[in-house]
Amino acid sequence: MSVTTLLEGWSDWRHEHPINDQPHNPYKWAMSIDLDACTGCNACSVACYAENNLPVVGKEKYAHGQVMHWLRIERYWDEDGREFPDQGARFLPMMCQQCEAAPCETVCPVGATNHTPDGLNSQIYNRCIGSRYCSANCPFKVRYFNWYDYPTTDNVWPAEMNQQLNPDVTVRGKGVMEKCTFCVQRLREAESNAKSQGRVVRDGEVQTACQQVCLPGAITFGNLVDPESKVHKKWQAQQVELAKDVQAKDKEEGGSKLRGYRILEELRPYPSVMYLERVRDSAI
Amino acid sequence: MHRFLRLSVLLMGLFAAMSGYAVDAAQSASIVWGETTMPPVTADGQGPAIEQPIEFPHFRHAGDANKDHPEKGGMEINCMYCHTYARRSAVAGIPPLQKCIGCHQSIESVRESPRIKKLFEYWDAKKAIPWKKVHDVPDYVRFNHERHIKRFIFQQNRPFQEACGYCHGNVKELTVGRRLKAISMGWCVDCHKKDHPVTAEGGTSADGQAYWYAYKKPTVSASGVVTANGPNDCWMCHK
Amino acid sequence: MMDSGFDRRDFLKVLGWGGTTAALGGCGFTSMEDGKETVVSYVEAKDYMIPSISVYYNSTCTQCDMGCSISGRVREGRVLKLEGNPESAINRGKLCGLGQAGVQHHYNPDRVREPLLRTGSKSGETITWEKAYGLIAEKLNGVSGEEIAFLTGGMSGHLKVLMGNYLDSFGCKNHFVYEAIAPAVVRAANKKSYGVEMPRISINKAKVVLSFGADFLGSWVSPVHFSQQYAQFRKGVNGQRGVLIQVESKMTLTGANADRWLAVRPGTEGILALGIINALGTATGDVAAAVKGYDKVRVSKDTGVSAEQIDKIAALLKARTPSLVLVGSAAEGYAHGSQNAAAINLLNQVLGNVGKTVEAAASVPFPQMAPALGNTAALQGLNKGLAEGKFKVLFNYAANPVFTAPAAMKFKDNMAKAGFKVVFAHYLDETALQADLVLPLDSGLEDWGSHVPEYMAEGAQINIQQPLMEKIHANTRGMGDILLSLVKQRRSEDYKKYADYYAYLRDALLKNKDAFGGKGIDDDVFWDDTLSKGIVKLAGSTGALSAKASAAGLTLPAPAAIDAQFPLQLIPSVNHSLRDGRNTNQPWLQESPDPLTTIVWDSWVEIHPKKAAELGIAEGDIVEITSKNGSIKVQAYLFPGIHPDVISVPLGRGHEAMGRYAKDYGVNPFLILDAIFDKETGELAMHETRVKVSKTGQKVIVVKDEGPAGGRQMGKKIAPRLPTDKVDFSKEV
Repeated sequence: MSVTTLLEGWSDWRHEHPINDQPHNPYKWAMSIDLDACTGCNACSVACYAENNLPVVGKEKYAHGQVMHWLRIERYWDEDGREFPDQGARFLPMMCQQCEAAPCETVCPVGATNHTPDGLNSQIYNRCIGSRYCSANCPFKVRYFNWYDYPTTDNVWPAEMNQQLNPDVTVRGKGVMEKCTFCVQRLREAESNAKSQGRVVRDGEVQTACQQVCLPGAITFGNLVDPESKVHKKWQAQQVELAKDVQAKDKEEGGSKLRGYRILEELRPYPSVMYLERVRDSAI
Repeated sequence: MHRFLRLSVLLMGLFAAMSGYAVDAAQSASIVWGETTMPPVTADGQGPAIEQPIEFPHFRHAGDANKDHPEKGGMEINCMYCHTYARRSAVAGIPPLQKCIGCHQSIESVRESPRIKKLFEYWDAKKAIPWKKVHDVPDYVRFNHERHIKRFIFQQNRPFQEACGYCHGNVKELTVGRRLKAISMGWCVDCHKKDHPVTAEGGTSADGQAYWYAYKKPTVSASGVVTANGPNDCWMCHK
Repeated sequence: MMDSGFDRRDFLKVLGWGGTTAALGGCGFTSMEDGKETVVSYVEAKDYMIPSISVYYNSTCTQCDMGCSISGRVREGRVLKLEGNPESAINRGKLCGLGQAGVQHHYNPDRVREPLLRTGSKSGETITWEKAYGLIAEKLNGVSGEEIAFLTGGMSGHLKVLMGNYLDSFGCKNHFVYEAIAPAVVRAANKKSYGVEMPRISINKAKVVLSFGADFLGSWVSPVHFSQQYAQFRKGVNGQRGVLIQVESKMTLTGANADRWLAVRPGTEGILALGIINALGTATGDVAAAVKGYDKVRVSKDTGVSAEQIDKIAALLKARTPSLVLVGSAAEGYAHGSQNAAAINLLNQVLGNVGKTVEAAASVPFPQMAPALGNTAALQGLNKGLAEGKFKVLFNYAANPVFTAPAAMKFKDNMAKAGFKVVFAHYLDETALQADLVLPLDSGLEDWGSHVPEYMAEGAQINIQQPLMEKIHANTRGMGDILLSLVKQRRSEDYKKYADYYAYLRDALLKNKDAFGGKGIDDDVFWDDTLSKGIVKLAGSTGALSAKASAAGLTLPAPAAIDAQFPLQLIPSVNHSLRDGRNTNQPWLQESPDPLTTIVWDSWVEIHPKKAAELGIAEGDIVEITSKNGSIKVQAYLFPGIHPDVISVPLGRGHEAMGRYAKDYGVNPFLILDAIFDKETGELAMHETRVKVSKTGQKVIVVKDEGPAGGRQMGKKIAPRLPTDKVDFSKEV
């Protein structure tokens, strides 16, 4: 029993989940976001509001940081002290990374957040008691708490606007945590339809709301364990592996020429979202 | 001082718990349920009897035929003739009014009876009947009817009364629908824990494929029957 | 009982004890809600109406004028979400955030529901449609065509035809088509340079895109289409990734995605274009003569772009062809905008892009349906007539001039001079509040229509708009239905066979079904098929583009001197969702952060950090921006993506009406704009306003999404960036 074996065993145990004799069989949902294609237009964020019954909190609550955008576009500037940002800005769509070894899952006092066999980090609203430990632990800060009872708050869903609510998604009340679900309602519907036909969901058959609306097609979503899926091929081409905290290509001298990376990988949550680095031309 | 405080709160809590039990036990006490008061749940988990706009007789339509006195018996109509959405959709739904009218427009013998007259009043006004929902799981639960029908009736070829009746009980002896089983989460999970066949014995597999989605490795019995459990993934039902 | 020794820790302990015991009493109840809710099924359901299974209907988005085709998800008779319709060559299944908010336009609680007669009374009395039509007929009685005016936004398709017929029935020629933000100068310049107003551009075929303020990823012309072209552009032609260079005075969304963003002195874009032509060294004839004086040194001094940079751009354009040069705010912003645009278009011709990345667009062979394009010069014409008291009856549709007209034009006062004002509106916006009669419209998701988009992506197409659900409010009417009723008052014989606008539209489309690919197909089958697709594709005609590079008539003024009293230049920026403020009352758009500043629910002024330091302004200071025509007070935000002599306030907020989500949020920079117009086209020169900035002493916390790090990654690898020479694209999928 060497130290290496111990550490590897620990590493494996970190992202083993109780529900699984057969994890990721037949689905492991993952995403790849091309930051070079992302224009920062925020269409994905608005589409998420539409699909998932996200409440609009208004100016005052926004100022208190109580906004509910499951998918936010972060904008970064270059930090080289030049007078103008003459290579533009960098946009990063950030949503729940559906980590395999999620820091949030281990700390929920009531087990409201778990790992599903198809590789998602689940959030069960009716079990949540609102301790908010999970959001404290999340390094990406993608968990949002319902500080108010938005269904009964004025002007959130006034008459007629409440008819727009998606009946497939629970409308959350006060005191529960919520976060991006990779549009699990769409996934379940697609899985059910596929199962009625005796098959597995094909690549491209189900799309998350953000992927569907992304104008330059920066978001690729699909089944990571399906060798024919785009997202599998992308992860493979970028040599990023799900259950590794340091990718082989990053150990290379001088860094790799591949664009794929995961955010805060060094914290070892094994996120299911891979990003492709933004590129700026060196010719101009 | 603090000990006294703690003790008093402890006692208050116990007292509150006792009162809770007392309310629960009292048969004549009623529970405020939304805007109406309902009788409490009976000991065996059966739901309260719900009054509907029209007292629809399930026993007449779905009940067993009476060979000696046919007019007193039922017509043995398949559940899914009326509740057709159950096998097509996640949501079971209530049959549209035209389903009732479809037959009843030609049944002269009961055309003037009070309930049928009421039915036709709705039809003539093109107004949908506001049925009270009986098997109403809370909003944070999403039960997929289609999957269960597909598994138990189409794959395992169980008789429909056995399949539908497992959760809905012996509806063919009721008038209006009434919840006859507990339908709590524990009750659902109990069944999901059971091993059920996913291949030939008890039915044909979908498309020749033993396709399971139960997150536990299916077990193969000595006779070659593959069994698996229902899903125990929270996000199956609580999205 | 509670003494001072009882601290928080004790309190929590007590709570814990009490809580546990109370919880013990909670057993024995079920969560089932039998008898609590009603389940209402259908009366008569079609076969495809299955509860919980969505049906998708195709229609056209009306949130902006670009005519993307949408597919609405409808469940149990309610439209829930809009997606893009894959059938349309314009948006190809995609839909922007503004389009997504179309459901909030439709379900908006502040929609006008009844015809309102507002003469005298401030709030207005509700009247019936019969009375409203009767009143209109009464007011039009005896009025000649010259005394009637119709102000609308851009219009196309059958609505435009019907409107034309209605105006014709009076002999009225006063149809003013007004768009507060329109690429009108670009259109005119394109017509001069290429022979067509809106050529088809192919960003995806270009190796280099040089854009002079054209925010094609945000709000310029057809951003949904261009964003998709952009994605292909980045993947590259023959493996070589496209390069985007953006030249503007204030960074737009497109600028934020550029490989090189160049802050240029406002108004000098044309000079830079000529400088690049000079640096290319390939021009001949009168073009060479025209650019002779624009050497690097002079151009660099005038524009602020370094000579080195000019050389780099010229070298890149030479090395990588075809390229594409676009003109946007460089044209719309300035009194010499037409000249700027001419110079920039000239660059395209010198580079040989015409016929490669700039091509002729297809047009629909029905000129009467072709879009009537809006511009700001139209408002001037109307304003003049109103000021003279010329108009006895004024109709207003799809325009909000009281909000978007600069205060210097005194439009609100002039509008009051019109005898009888009828406004067709969805909401009680600023213009509707000035009306005598407000007529409520069906939302864009409840109405019938046909639209011919201005920008034709591939082949020619007509977009069909159909209702995605039943009307929410019983007393709204579709604009087509209203116009039909009005035209029936004048020409009842011609139109009496049409019960409603739906019948009119169906008849009109079926009459021409041969041209729409329906030859030999049964009418009903063709109609159903058309509705199902949501678009009619047709063989359009393509004009020819003139590729002659000519510098005739090109005179660029020297860069303007800085006015000592008003030392800064105000650029009112166009946000891709809020635009001219017509959709500000959709809360998703208010809460959607501005991509560059991440500010929500409020206006701001962008000041370069250097200038802010000079003026002693910090983030959150309320500053007063004063022009010759008014002033606004707004919070300051330090923004590096702007020329130091320029400040920028976004358009679209600052509503004084238009419902709970729009009213009193932000300030309206439209009001303080100087009334300066492009010399050639008469378009409002949006960037010519000179202002001064002063602190008020007040301070607020800016409500934004970026957090205290403000765009810094704090040493972590969050959003890194690679230069092209360090990336291996070959392995990518």
